[in-house]
Amino acid sequence: MPGRMGSRRALITGGAGGIGLACARRLLAEGAEAVLLDRRADALSAAASVGAAPVACDIRDPGAVAAAVARAAELLNGPADVLVNSAGVYKIAPLLDLTPGEWDEVMAVNLRGTFLAGRAVATALIAAGRPGAIVNISSTAGLVADASEPSAHYNASKAGVLALTRQMAAEWAPYGIRANAVCPGVIDTPMLRMMDDPEAGAAYLRAGVPQQRLGSAEEVAAAVVFLASDDASYLTGAAVPVDGGVTAI
Amino acid sequence: MRAIVTGAARGLGAAIAARLARDGADLVLLDVSADVAATAERLAAVGLVTDVSDENACAAAVDRAVRAIGGVDVLVNNAGIGGPDTDVAGTSPAEFRRVLDVNLTGTFLMCHAVATVMIGQGSGGAIVNMGSVLGQQGVARGAGYCASKAGVALLTHSLALELAPHGIRVNTIAPGNMATEMHWDELRSRAARSGTTLGEQVEMVKAAIPLGRHGTGSDIAGVVAWLVSPDAGYVTGQTIGVNGGIWLS
Repeated sequence: MPGRMGSRRALITGGAGGIGLACARRLLAEGAEAVLLDRRADALSAAASVGAAPVACDIRDPGAVAAAVARAAELLNGPADVLVNSAGVYKIAPLLDLTPGEWDEVMAVNLRGTFLAGRAVATALIAAGRPGAIVNISSTAGLVADASEPSAHYNASKAGVLALTRQMAAEWAPYGIRANAVCPGVIDTPMLRMMDDPEAGAAYLRAGVPQQRLGSAEEVAAAVVFLASDDASYLTGAAVPVDGGVTAI
Repeated sequence: MRAIVTGAARGLGAAIAARLARDGADLVLLDVSADVAATAERLAAVGLVTDVSDENACAAAVDRAVRAIGGVDVLVNNAGIGGPDTDVAGTSPAEFRRVLDVNLTGTFLMCHAVATVMIGQGSGGAIVNMGSVLGQQGVARGAGYCASKAGVALLTHSLALELAPHGIRVNTIAPGNMATEMHWDELRSRAARSGTTLGEQVEMVKAAIPLGRHGTGSDIAGVVAWLVSPDAGYVTGQTIGVNGGIWLS
């Protein structure tokens, strides 16, 4: 595999999750050093066996995020110059039943967490005068609505991530920091709920996904590493769907 | 990888061809200019003088390409021309048709010929069409060019849906302001019209690009390399903006 990530220092939030861990594997395979953040301590130590350093962190907590980013810089011998914001939660709830508490919890992880980690990493990079790349995991749910699997809080948080990504791109471009988002569609990870009913899931794949299959976490990771690499040197503020053509319908 | 690149004699097309050659592709390069022979020779590729707006020429070129490299896995539709710098009243129908003929119909004609081959091969494939930021938003005195490039993006959508069952992915790259002769011509025309210098026009454009510079051939080639690779195996029907972060309304 071509090593596009040689001498890069990567920080992956939600690093014990399906997509986060796949990103870590690919970043390591291409030569990066990596630190994984996650609030699930057990899953985190298991994930770290891929060759990355684990740092437990609740991404909702500004103090914890600042401490984790500082700890990552020690472990990496310098500030992280690749940040993958993959920490996220997904809940299904029709709008009429959605409670303010559920809304706040999803926003806190998916949107506030992305802001907190992005701000902490960019602050360190700018102070060090170094360029970097941020890749935020959004979702096709941030682009289109889906009444069959209602999740307004998740969808709004992922649309928020897209706006946040554009603003990161605009404000941090002068410092050589690029920020882009990947919008995964239906990806085969533990977070996926669509295949809970295998028959309905298969029907959806046939009718709703032009490529008629689930995507893999590795395919999302490939897009993430592309965006973090110099191959994407002129991309910033972009939203890149990895969805088998769902958003082309 | 067996690839055809159109508009490959110079500029973006030549940079794309050079990158695909570096990645190990067997290449056939098409261009309306006889200069394509020299570019092809430099890259150990086959060069064919071809006007993509000519149906018979496209069919003949694809036929020769298939015989030369044994098939086609990748098509990059890069051939394109700038439109006249005129308002709607001052644009002759012939000029308008010419832009559509090359940029939109030419892209269709190549897709038409190559998709037939790819479907027959039964081994999938990847098509990358060159759109533009001016296919995502309009600009005064650019109606023909904008319409042609917006057409390319929607042609891409439709073909992605049609060809997904054959394992053929189709995507658009939408470059922003590129350091190419086509862009300098546009700025020279704007400078002459507004009584400014080319240098002043270049600075005005750069000031509106968050990354603070024009894009280069290698910026585009890196994105093409990703889109035609298995790394983008779950990406189809998309328009990928490669524009340094300039604002889209």
